[in-house]
Amino acid sequence: MLGVVGAALGRDSADIAVRDILRYGLTSAWLALLVGTITAVVGTLAAWLVVMHRFPGRDLFAWALALPLAVPAFALAYGYADLFDVAGALRMGLRDEMGFDLPFEMRSIGGAAFILSAAFYPYVYLAMRAAFLNQSANVIEAANMLGCSGWRVLWRVALPMARPALAAGVALAAMETLADYGAVQFLSVQTLTTGVVRAWSVYGSTASAARFALPLLAAAALLLWVERASRKGRTHESGKARWRALAVQPLGRLAAPLAFAFCLFLLTAGLLLPVGWLVWNLAATSPDWPRLIGAVRNSLFLGSIGALLTVALATMLALGTRRLPMAARLASLGYATPGAVMAIGLLAPAGVIWTIAPGSGAAIAIILLLFAYAARLMAAALEPIDAGLARVTPSMIHAARTLGRSETGAALAVDLPIARGAMLTAGLIVFIDILKELPATLILRPFNFDTLAVIANNYALDERLGQAGLPSILIIILSLPAVIWLTRRIAQARPGT
Amino acid sequence: MVATLMGTAILAGCSGGEKAAGQQEVNLYTARHYDSDQALYDRFTKETGIKINRIEGKADELVARMKSEGANSPADLFITADAGALWRAQKEGLFQPVKSETLDARIPANLREPAGNWYGFTRRARIVAYDAAKVKPEEIDDYAKLAAPRFKGKICVRSSDSVYNLSLVGALIEAWGPDKAGQWVKGIVANMARPPEGGDRDQIRAVAAGVCEVALTNSYYYVRMATGDDAADRKVTEKVKLGFPSLDGKGAHVNISGGGIAKNAPNRDNAVKLLEFFASADSQKHISANNGEFPASPDVPAPPPVDTYAKFTANPMSAAAFAARQPEAQSMMSAAGWR
Repeated sequence: MLGVVGAALGRDSADIAVRDILRYGLTSAWLALLVGTITAVVGTLAAWLVVMHRFPGRDLFAWALALPLAVPAFALAYGYADLFDVAGALRMGLRDEMGFDLPFEMRSIGGAAFILSAAFYPYVYLAMRAAFLNQSANVIEAANMLGCSGWRVLWRVALPMARPALAAGVALAAMETLADYGAVQFLSVQTLTTGVVRAWSVYGSTASAARFALPLLAAAALLLWVERASRKGRTHESGKARWRALAVQPLGRLAAPLAFAFCLFLLTAGLLLPVGWLVWNLAATSPDWPRLIGAVRNSLFLGSIGALLTVALATMLALGTRRLPMAARLASLGYATPGAVMAIGLLAPAGVIWTIAPGSGAAIAIILLLFAYAARLMAAALEPIDAGLARVTPSMIHAARTLGRSETGAALAVDLPIARGAMLTAGLIVFIDILKELPATLILRPFNFDTLAVIANNYALDERLGQAGLPSILIIILSLPAVIWLTRRIAQARPGT
Repeated sequence: MVATLMGTAILAGCSGGEKAAGQQEVNLYTARHYDSDQALYDRFTKETGIKINRIEGKADELVARMKSEGANSPADLFITADAGALWRAQKEGLFQPVKSETLDARIPANLREPAGNWYGFTRRARIVAYDAAKVKPEEIDDYAKLAAPRFKGKICVRSSDSVYNLSLVGALIEAWGPDKAGQWVKGIVANMARPPEGGDRDQIRAVAAGVCEVALTNSYYYVRMATGDDAADRKVTEKVKLGFPSLDGKGAHVNISGGGIAKNAPNRDNAVKLLEFFASADSQKHISANNGEFPASPDVPAPPPVDTYAKFTANPMSAAAFAARQPEAQSMMSAAGWR
C-alpha cells in the first residue's frame, strides 16, 4: 500500500485529467452516501423490530436477515440487471401485456445504490442488533415510565445510546461500497475503483491508477476516524451491571404483518430474488463441472489460508497496538480500497521476486495474493479482535507477569484464550470476504487457478449471465455456514441471562 | 506460524503446477473468453502431447501483468480477441518476431504484423444490427451515415472502453483523419438513445425492445444469437437484421483475434506450435462454426451456419494500422463524452 502511495506521487503520468478523477470521485462519494443512508435506516429498523418486538417469523428473521452477507455484491448485480434489463423477459412481458414499463434502470447509480444497499445492510443490522441486545433494560423502563414509548423510545433513547454501533455499521457498509468493483463495473457505474483498474490496464499507468486510489484511502481514513470518534464517549459495560431481560413487545394485528412484510422484503431483496433468478436461469445451461470443482477447491484454499494469515497478522497488530496505536489504524486503511490497488501495488515487488526466484511463479503469486487479501481485509479482522482483546484488563496481564511469564508468554497465556472467540469471528468474516473477492484475484492469480468469483465474472463479462449463476451460487453455499454461525454467535443471549 | 503458512503455500503451489519429468508445456495468456476454445486446447494437447497452462483475463490486464513480470514472465503465447491489445503488447516490447513459413503463408498480410510479431487467425466485423421495420438498408450502408441526424436518439452502443469500439474508431481515424473522425464520434454521442451500458448483445436486444433502431455490434454476437439454442435470442434476430456498412466504399471494418510469442518465452517452440495450430484450417473452421467468427485464411471457407453472413466485402485496412490508433481513439471518445 505504501508502494501505491509512493507511485502516485511520481513517475510517469498519463493523460488522466483531474476532471476525470473528480467525476469518478463524486460518483463514488454519492454512491457511498446513498448506501450509507439507506442501510442505516433499513438496518436499524430491522434490528429494532427484531430485538424489541414479537411478531410471526421474528425468530427466523433474527438470524436470516444477515444472510445477504453470503451473497457477493456482483452476483446481486448480475441477478438484478438481468431481471430488470430493458430488453429482458420481465419488462418486455410487462410492455406487451400491460402496456407500461418500469420507470427505472438498474444499470445506473440509483440501481447500484439499491443493489449495494441490499448487499450491505447486514453490516448495520448486525451491529445494531448487538447494540440493542446489550441495552440496559433499566433505561428503557425509565423511558417508558416517563411517557416515552414505541418509536419514540427508539428515536430518543435507544438510538443515541447505540450511536457508536450505528457509526461502525455504516462505516463498514460505506467502505465496502467504496471498495466494490465487480458490481459497479457490471452496472457501468464509474466509481474510483473502476477508474483504478481502467487507468492501470487501459492507460498502462500505475501512477494514474494510484491517483484514483488516493481518494479512496483518504475516505477510508475519514470513515475510520468517524467510527473511532463516535466511540470515545461511550461507557463500557461495567461488570457490575445487573442484566435483566428486555421487555419484548408483541405487535398488534396491524403492525405485526407490516413488520413481517418489511423483514421479508429485506430478505427477498438481498437474497431470495436475485438468487432465485440466477437459479431459474441455470436450467438452460450446461455447467462445466471439472472447472467449477477446481474453482471450489481454489476458493476454499485461498479463503481458509487467507483467513488464517489475516487473523494471525491482525492479532499480532492488535497485541502490539498498546504501544503503537497508529499501526493498527494505518493497516485498516485498506478496507475501503479495492483489492485491485493492493494487487497492482504488489506486482512491482513481484517482478523483483520473480527475477530472484524464477520457476516459483505459482507459489509466489498465491503468497502475494494472500498478502493482498490481508492488506485489504485487515480492518474487518481487527474490529472483532480488538473488541475481544479489550476484555483483557491490565491487571490480568500483570498477574501473568508476576507469575513469571515473559511479555510474549503473557500474551499467549492470557490474551489469546480470551480472544479466541473474537479470532474465530474475525476468521469467518475474512473467509467470507475472500470467497467474494474479485479484483485482486483477477490480477494476481497464477496459471490454471481460477476462483469461483473469477469464473462468475468472466462469464458475466461475456454476457453469459446464465452460466455466471452457478459459480455465484456455489460461493453462497460455501459462505452460508460461516454466515449462519456468525449471526447466531452475535445473537447470543444477553450477558447475565 | 508464518513459516508454516509459507511452506503450505509453496507446497500447494508446487503441487498445483506439477509436471511429469519431460512433460512438455506451453503457458498461454489469453483474452479470448469463449467456451468453444476448450475443445481446441484439448485437441492440441491430444495431438502434440503438450500441456497448456492457461490464464484468462482481460487483454489490458494481461499486458500489464506481463509488463510487471518482466524478463522472468512465464508467458509463452499471448492471444487476444482484438488487434489493439496485440499492438499495445508489441509497443511494450512484450513480443518476439517469429519466422514461420506456415503462418506467413496462411495468414494474409493485412491481418498480421509485418515483422512477424503477431498473427491474426480469425476475423470479426464490427457492423450494425438494425430494426428491419424502421430502418432501410441504404440508410446504414456507410459508417458515416450513422452519425447523421437521421439517427438522433436511436443508436445503442457499448462503452468506449470496449476494445472493439476503440479499434473501429481507430480505423476511422486512420481512414478519415482525426478531424472527420472526431466529428463522427461527436455525432454518435449525440445520437445515443441511452448512455452506454452492457455488451454488444445487450445493444442488439435493446433494438428488439424498441429502445433504439441501430446498434453497433461484432458480427459473431449476432451470429451466435441467430444460430444458438436460446429461443428468445433467435426471436430477437428475426426482428433485428445484420447490416454491413462500408468504410469509404472499401468494405466493413474487420478486426482480428490473434496472438504473438512472448519475448522471454520459456517454451518458445511449443508456443509457435500452438499459434500455428490456431491458424490451421481445422481450428479456424472450428472457431468459425462454434463462435461465429470468420476465418482469416482465404482458403478456408466459412462453414455453416456462418456462411450466410460471410458474404460481405471486408475492408483491406491492415490491422496494425488501426490498432496503432487506439490511444488516440480513447482520448477522442473520452473528450467527446462517450462513456
